[in-house]
Amino acid sequence: MDFAPEHDVPIPYLQRTRDYYLRLGYDNPYQWAHFAEVPFAPLRVPLARARVALISTAAPFQPGAGDQGPGAPYNAAAKFYRVYSESSEGTPDVRISHVGYDRVHTEARDPHSWFPLAQLQRAVKMGRIGALTPRFYGAPTNRSQRVTLQTDAPELLRRCREDGADVAVLVPS
Amino acid sequence: MSLVARHLEADGIPTVIMGCAKDIVEYCGVPRFLFSDFPLGNSAGRPFDVESQALTLELALRVLESAPAARTTVQSPLRWKDDASWKLDFSNLDRMTPEQLAERRREFDEIKAVARGKREQS
Repeated sequence: MDFAPEHDVPIPYLQRTRDYYLRLGYDNPYQWAHFAEVPFAPLRVPLARARVALISTAAPFQPGAGDQGPGAPYNAAAKFYRVYSESSEGTPDVRISHVGYDRVHTEARDPHSWFPLAQLQRAVKMGRIGALTPRFYGAPTNRSQRVTLQTDAPELLRRCREDGADVAVLVPS
Repeated sequence: MSLVARHLEADGIPTVIMGCAKDIVEYCGVPRFLFSDFPLGNSAGRPFDVESQALTLELALRVLESAPAARTTVQSPLRWKDDASWKLDFSNLDRMTPEQLAERRREFDEIKAVARGKREQS
C-alpha cells in the first residue's frame, strides 16, 4: 500500500504555536476561542440573487508604515485596530505584512491569493452571485477576543446590514 | 475571523470562511468553512494562478449553498506541492537552532511593543 507520509496532514497550528511560544519563554499560552455551540443561518436567497459581503483581515497599504511587502518581515506598524470599509469596485491595494502568514513558503506577491475581490467581481459578471455590497470590510486582527466580540464583530454586522448583505464571505489572511 | 462569522450567522447572515488554518477555525466552531491546505496567506488560492483562485471561490460558494448544518468543512482538492514537506517548517522547534530561537524572541518582543503603541494610538 502506498500511503501518504505521516506529516501530510493539515498543519497542527494550535499545538505548533503553543509549543513555540512556550519554548521562547512566554509561559501564558494564547487561549484560542472555543465553543460547543455553533450558530447556523440557512441560505434564504439563491446566490444568483444574493448580495455578497467580503470581509478580509488584509490591511490597506499605508504609506509611511514601513515595508509592507511583498516579502516584508512581520510589520506590526501596518496593523489596524478599527473596522474599515472601502469600495468594492476597482482593485484596492491591500497587504498582509501585519499578520503571521507563512513567510518561508509564500511571499505575498499576489493579492488575489488572499483577497478574492477580483474573483467575486467576476462571479457577479457571470451571474453566479447577484451582486457585491458596495463596500468590502476590513476586520482587525486583534488578539483581544473581548474587543473582537464586543466592538469589531458588531460593527462589521452593522455595516453588512447597512449595505444590504444577504451572505458574507470571510477571508482570514 | 471565526468570531465574526459566528456573530453574523447568529444575526441571520449566512457565512463561509475561506482559510488555511484548519484546526484553529474548527476549534472555534464556525458554520461553514472551505479549507485550503496551503501555507497561511493563500486562503483565496494559489498565487498567480487564476484558475486556482476561481476554483477556490467556487468551492466556497458551493459550501455556502449546500452545507446541511453548522461545522461543515470542505477541503479543497488543490495541493500546494506534490511534496508535503513544506508543512514541517512553520514554527517548528525541531528545525531551529538556539540562536534562531533567541532571535525570534527578540523579534517578537519588538513586534509586541510596536503593536501596543499602534493600538494605543487608535
